[in-house]
This record gives sequence, structure tokens and C-alpha cells, in this order.
Amino acid sequence: MTKKTRYFLAGSAAIIVAGLTTGLIAFKLGGPALFASRTGPAELSYVPADAGVVAFANVREVMDSELRQQLKQALPVADHANGQKEFQEETGIDIEHDIDHVVAAMTSVGPNDAHGLVVARGRFNNTQLETLARNHGGVVEDYKGKRLVTVTEHHDGSSDSSNVRGVHSITLAFLESGLVGIGSEDAIKTAIDAQLSAHSITSNDEMMELVSQIDSGNNAWAVGRFDAIANHAKLPQDIQSRIPAVKTFAVMAHIDGGLSGTVRAEARDDQSAENLRQVINGLLALGRMQGQNDPKVAAMMQSLQTSGTGKTVAVSFAVPAELLQMMAKAHHAEER
Amino acid sequence: MTPQAPGYLPSALRVFDMSTGEMLWSRRTIFMALIVGAPVLIALVVRLVFALGAPSPTVNGTVMAGPAIFGLMIWIFYLRFIVPVLGVFYGTSLIADEVEDKTITYLFSRPIPRGSVLLGKYLAYLACTVFVVLPSVIIVYLCITPVRGSLGGSFIDLVKDLVLLGIGLAAYGAVFAFIGAKFKRPLLIGLIFVFGWEQAALAFPGYMKQFTVAYYLQALVPHAMPNDGIISLVQSIFRETPSLSVSLFALAVIVVGFLALAAAVVERREYVLEQ
Repeated sequence: MTKKTRYFLAGSAAIIVAGLTTGLIAFKLGGPALFASRTGPAELSYVPADAGVVAFANVREVMDSELRQQLKQALPVADHANGQKEFQEETGIDIEHDIDHVVAAMTSVGPNDAHGLVVARGRFNNTQLETLARNHGGVVEDYKGKRLVTVTEHHDGSSDSSNVRGVHSITLAFLESGLVGIGSEDAIKTAIDAQLSAHSITSNDEMMELVSQIDSGNNAWAVGRFDAIANHAKLPQDIQSRIPAVKTFAVMAHIDGGLSGTVRAEARDDQSAENLRQVINGLLALGRMQGQNDPKVAAMMQSLQTSGTGKTVAVSFAVPAELLQMMAKAHHAEER
Repeated sequence: MTPQAPGYLPSALRVFDMSTGEMLWSRRTIFMALIVGAPVLIALVVRLVFALGAPSPTVNGTVMAGPAIFGLMIWIFYLRFIVPVLGVFYGTSLIADEVEDKTITYLFSRPIPRGSVLLGKYLAYLACTVFVVLPSVIIVYLCITPVRGSLGGSFIDLVKDLVLLGIGLAAYGAVFAFIGAKFKRPLLIGLIFVFGWEQAALAFPGYMKQFTVAYYLQALVPHAMPNDGIISLVQSIFRETPSLSVSLFALAVIVVGFLALAAAVVERREYVLEQ
């Protein structure tokens, strides 16, 4: 064997070994944090790996969207503006401009014990927020380098801390510069642990695959396991047993001049998916039939389209801004 | 005192040592580089396109992530084309090239078993193809799987793919080594076997598919079989997947059996060199 041949074989072997080593390191360390192209927002690193539902909203885009501007013009803003102003005075947060995006997650240790978590990126006045929490009885603590303020509420109005059943705590966490988290104390601490140990939702391949299927044009989405929401909805057994065998779901929406989006579900098998598609088509046909006399409903039903093959069932919708304005005005008129 | 003739395996290794360089730097390698380089080039282009912000391709409303694209490439490029074609082009020429170049006389005049010549050349073929094909798969994996996916998440699939491609090269190489040793026009027979017999046998129900290499090899693939044409669709309808142990056993039998048959043919046959 000549030297040239030996060098070639050695070089090839080196490529194989380097590739396998890279893959093995990624596999052992939970991969996506180090080596994947960014899937989803960076704040997903604070979502625990066992979260059942994860949601995202690009608040900036939604607030700046043409639809929101049109709705603001169409609807009286007095009540809304007062509420927003009061919120800003208390928290220092201008919802219109200070929040960039939020990530929310539902984690739970059991079907009767759901924990929610919201992580918001934006520009916040940490001092004002902490002061507000302290004024409501908040207790400050430092947890693994993050500042937490926990407000404990007793549902029965008593301050008896021995009455555990009526206790509910909300924790505000200053996770990074420009990043705050709100949720139960357990959820916040679990989120911090997830980020520090890299054992977050980004290492959950099943959930990240759902997130990766979200088209980049959507400014709000939610994905998760269907059983996570079914369990927490506390549905009667009769109804729960009749819910189609849906494994995961993904809801995504794009808000600009109108509202368009897709609801996608993955069933356990092809037959379940086919049954679900037929059920949805039937409901849509019924809706179209009943909505013939109401132009708003008719327009809404026309925009609904089912699709999907195999185990996937998808329903897409596109609602123009004019229709939403009509519906908002009608609803506001009914409230008065 | 005459020195003892080397044994079967040392002889084979000596032939391997001699043949590896000849095989690697032959004109046939240019063809191998082209067909192995194509998926690498495609992977680089795909990665560049995604890096520039192109939306992910969708199939039936489902977004194709990197791992799914990698699986498709393994099926379409490597499993169905590169591995069988390399097996045909290299396997059939192990002895045929020596006959054509009229150099087989020099090999057979050595005090080594004739079968070890075939075994040594087979090992050289295996080294050349494995050390060209597997790095190509690694590069495709590194480029494609991080797109809406993760290297870690696809690592186990990569290992399975590398092993099954190595086994595929070994199995096809053994089959075509026998065809090359036994028949005239082995290249034609090999191409008919790969693109004719195997495709047809896999498409029809029954036991005939057990007389193909692809039947056992495709059972090892961790990725979903693509439906990229009528034949694939038909094959997927009649697809029966043998168990892992049956597939591995069958492939081992194919490699050992056909190599033994090829060695036996080479031992007994008289190669008449054309003047």
C-alpha cells in the first residue's frame, strides 16, 4: 500500500470518527442546545423538558399588525385604554411597546396539579416590578443566581400559613436582562433548573419536532400533547373516552391584515386520523348549512379547509380583517 | 529448504495490500467519486438554501425537517443506487479486470491459494467503497440533520445507516464477485439483477423477494420508505419486513456463501486470456 493510499484511508477514517464523535457528543448532551439550527425562540431553554403544552406569541408583531390597528379604530378604546394605563402605572410595562414576545408552558406533576409558566422578553422596570410584588406581600429570594419574588395568596382570606389547601403562590422571576418569568413557585424553579442543566424542552425530540413544523411566518403558536390538556380539562369519563385518539396538536396563527392559521393534530394511527377528518368535514358541512343566512358565519365557514394525510389532520382558516371588525362591533354592541 | 507458502488469510491480506491502491486510484474511482459526491453537493446546497432563509419544503402539508430529508437521501441515493451500483461495478471486476489486463497469470502463478486472491481483492473493494461512501454519509448527516432537527436526535439513525450501508456493500460485493468470477458479461447481469430482478421481486407478493439482497437490507433501515414513484408505491403495498435477526443472518449467509462460491469458481476455472 502506497503512502498516498494510507493517507487517503486515514483521512476518510478521520472524517468518520469526527462525525461519529460529534454526533455522540450531541446525543449525550441533548444535542439541540449546541448543534441544531435555532428551532423556536431562545426562551424555550426555560421550558422544562416534560412540559405538556408550549405556546409562543410575538406580541410586538401582533400589536403592530394592521388588524390590531383597524380593531382599535373600529372599537371604542376608552375602557381598554384606562385598563392599559392603570397596568402601566403599576408595573411600568406598556403592553403596546415594551413586550417583544412571550413563551408560555404548562407543566404538571399530576393531572390535578397543573403548573403554568410564562416567560416574557422585553423591556421591564425590574425595580418597579419588585416593589409591586413586595407591596402585595412578596418575599424575595435568590435561587441559583436568579432573583425571585414570591407572593403567596390564601384562598380563604386567612393568613394562616398552616392551611396549605387554600394556598396559592405566584412567583415573579428576573431570569436575565430583559427577561422575566411568571408562574407558580415550582414552575419557575423548574424552569431555572431546566435552563441551567440544558434539560429543557429543546431536548425533548417529540415536542421540538412539533415546534420545528411551525412555519416561520406565524407570529403565534401552541403545540403540545393532547392528553396534557384533556387531563387538565377534567372531562367526564364518557366524553373523554369518545375523544378521538389524538396524540399531539399544533395551532399556529399569523396576524397581519387578517387572521390566518392552521390547527394540526396527529392521531395515533391512520384510521383514527381518517375518522377525525370525516368528523371535521361533517361539522364544517353542518356549519356551512346553518350559516347560510348569516353572512359573517358563512364567510367564516368558507375559510375553513381540512387537509392532511396519514396520521395528520389539519384545518386551516383565513379570516379577513373586515370580518373580524364586523364581529367585534357586533359583540361590543351586544355587551352594551 | 523451501520456505512454507503463506496461509490463506495472510495471502489474502497481501493481495489486499497490493490491490487497495490499484483500485482506489483507478479510473473507476472517478465514477465512484461522482456518484458519492452528488448527495454531498445536494446536502451543501440544501443547507445553504435554508441558511439563506428559504421556507422548509412540505410534503402533504407536513414540513420536512432535516432528519426526514436525511432519511430520504439515505433511501433514494445510497440504498437504492450508490450501494448496489458500486457493488456491481467493483464486484464484477475483481477478477475480470485482471483477466482483461492479462495480469491474472502473475497472481495465479504465486504459491498462494487462488481463492485468497479473490478474498484479498474483495477486501480491497470493501475498504475502498466503505472509506468513500461512509464519509459521504457523515458529511450529509452533518449538513442536513441540524435543519429543523438535531444531530443528537438523529445520531442513532446515523449509526444504523452506516452499519447497514457497510453490510450492503459487503453483501452486494460478494454477490457480484461471484457473478464476475462465474459469468461472461457480469456487468450486464449485475445491472439486470439490481435494476430488474430486485425491483420486480420486491413489487410482487410471495417468496421471490427472499432471493434479493434488498429485501433483507431494507428491513434494517431506520427511516420510513419514501413513496417516490409507482414502483415504490407498489413495493410498499407488498412490503413484508423480516425481523432483524433474520435479516442479519440472511445477509451474513449471502456474504459468506457467495464469497465461498466465488472462491470455489476461481479455484477451479481455467481463465483463457484472449490474444
